[in-house]
Amino acid sequence: MNDFGWKLKGRCYRLGHDVPHAGGVVPNWVIVGRHFDPKDVVPQLFAETDPGFHERCRPGDIIVAGRNFGMGPKMNGYIAMQALGLGLVCESMPFLAYRAAIGCGVRTLTDCINATELCETGDEIEVDFRNGFFVNHTRDIRREYPPVPDALQEIIALGGNAGWLRQWWRDRQAAG
Amino acid sequence: MTAVEKVLAKKSGKAALRAGAVANPDPDFIMIHDGVVMGTKRELDSLGIDRLAAPDKVIMVTDHDVIYGSARAAERGAFNRAAAKQWGVKQFHDVGRGGHGHIFPMETGLLLPGMFYFDNDRHATNAGAIGAFGFRMGGEISRVLATGTNWVIVPKTVRLTLRGRLKPGVHARDVGFHISSLFGRGALDADLDYRVLEYAGDLDQFDLASRTALCSSPTEMGAYGVFVPPSEAILARARSVAQRPFAAVYSDADAVFEANLGVDIGALEPQIALPGGVQKAVDLAQVAGKRVDHAFIGSCGSGMYEDLQQAAAVLRGRRIADHVRLFVAPGSEASVKRMAREGLLQVFIDAGAVMLPAGCGPCNDAVIGPVHAGEVSISTAANNNSGRFGAKDAQLYLGNPSTVATSAVAGRITDPREFLDREAAPA
Repeated sequence: MNDFGWKLKGRCYRLGHDVPHAGGVVPNWVIVGRHFDPKDVVPQLFAETDPGFHERCRPGDIIVAGRNFGMGPKMNGYIAMQALGLGLVCESMPFLAYRAAIGCGVRTLTDCINATELCETGDEIEVDFRNGFFVNHTRDIRREYPPVPDALQEIIALGGNAGWLRQWWRDRQAAG
Repeated sequence: MTAVEKVLAKKSGKAALRAGAVANPDPDFIMIHDGVVMGTKRELDSLGIDRLAAPDKVIMVTDHDVIYGSARAAERGAFNRAAAKQWGVKQFHDVGRGGHGHIFPMETGLLLPGMFYFDNDRHATNAGAIGAFGFRMGGEISRVLATGTNWVIVPKTVRLTLRGRLKPGVHARDVGFHISSLFGRGALDADLDYRVLEYAGDLDQFDLASRTALCSSPTEMGAYGVFVPPSEAILARARSVAQRPFAAVYSDADAVFEANLGVDIGALEPQIALPGGVQKAVDLAQVAGKRVDHAFIGSCGSGMYEDLQQAAAVLRGRRIADHVRLFVAPGSEASVKRMAREGLLQVFIDAGAVMLPAGCGPCNDAVIGPVHAGEVSISTAANNNSGRFGAKDAQLYLGNPSTVATSAVAGRITDPREFLDREAAPA
């Protein structure tokens, strides 16, 4: 787990407050149609608010969102974020949205006070999700936010719940 | 510690736990309903996981789609029976063998004060009615089944003190609608997201059915748990059916609550939740007279025997309006038997109601008794979000069981006291 890329350095993609999962993160039909395959959901990330986002973003880019991000305990958008290698920093998320992001293996920080006031889309930012260090290199701003709790790091490092469960079963089988 | 902190500490083998801590509690049992067994089984199969950590703790319930209305539903039922066999699940409450998973375990002594369990479904919050906790895991129920537990973050608790006694004709569901509207517009200033809402105050007036009703609307407002400290009457009822020893848990006098709020309920009027959410509640008088086409009594919030008794008190000797169809889904098989024994079933049938099997009724994705486009419904469903049980442009109103029964008879949204007062008046 120590080899896992806990530190991301990339471009900021800033969003506002109260972005709902349905419509704001992925189109509602993706959720209703229960599309969970990364190849299906990746092209739909922010498709209604920023068509083509998935082609412009690069692994290591970090989404910085305001309060109440991702309303609804849905996984679809986080599956896309994980597949694209993106990080997520939010001022707040409903708990079940946070749980869904962790469960999909997305490097996620929440309760990051005023994070959206510290950066603009395109700024070069760096976030260490294991210790909560946030740096905006473009504006020379540093903050320390609550990190991913120790108990949840393994889930992210193994790619989410399915990866964690696969590893758990392998370990159990190996132990006889 | 708060009640939820104490229960999670005990189940995690710790002396103390505080809100915000991560825990892996060992549940008293694990519940999974018929709608998600197939997906969960296939997920575990794809990982090669062919056995459960504790099959003896697993309770499978068939309550979401009890009468198979499609070939797909029948296929799912067959799949679920095979899954129970392969997994070695003995506590399988299949079609006609239990009822609503968030109701019958409290009636039969499976779920007792002080207990903790994992569930795939968010209406596990009903456990608070008896002084227990049920935590929703959604799709992560697969991890619970495989490993026996899962991570939880201990929730903060908001305490709400209810002051006063409800007037006749006003029901605990009305309290739920009312406080949801207060939370919704900020008049009760607290965030319920992932909180436990713990009630305090004048609670002795609420029986188990009413306490179950009190759990319903806060769940729709985002509460992860609801807790009604069990009264002596609740403990006596639990003791009379308990399938194992139990110890009730209460918040300590020095427990830390995120907020301490209060609301007066003595002057509360019957409420109606307007279409779009439980928080859109208003006094019934504001919408009285609205013509209805469809009515439903049941769901996890209003499916206990006492709820049906209240509806029957209105329907006795009356018939529903010609243009209305009324569906009734009791919460448990035990209630159906008692209804037959005590004459309630006859009352509903004579009134022209259609009896559905014990379970969720139309409130689960309209698998039975749905509404059509443009229709108006009044029900005791868990929520009235657009499309909850049928056409998205149907208008779904919510009320208490007496209100729904009265409105079904009148054919229009009607204050239950119009009928109840008439009966109480001297001849």
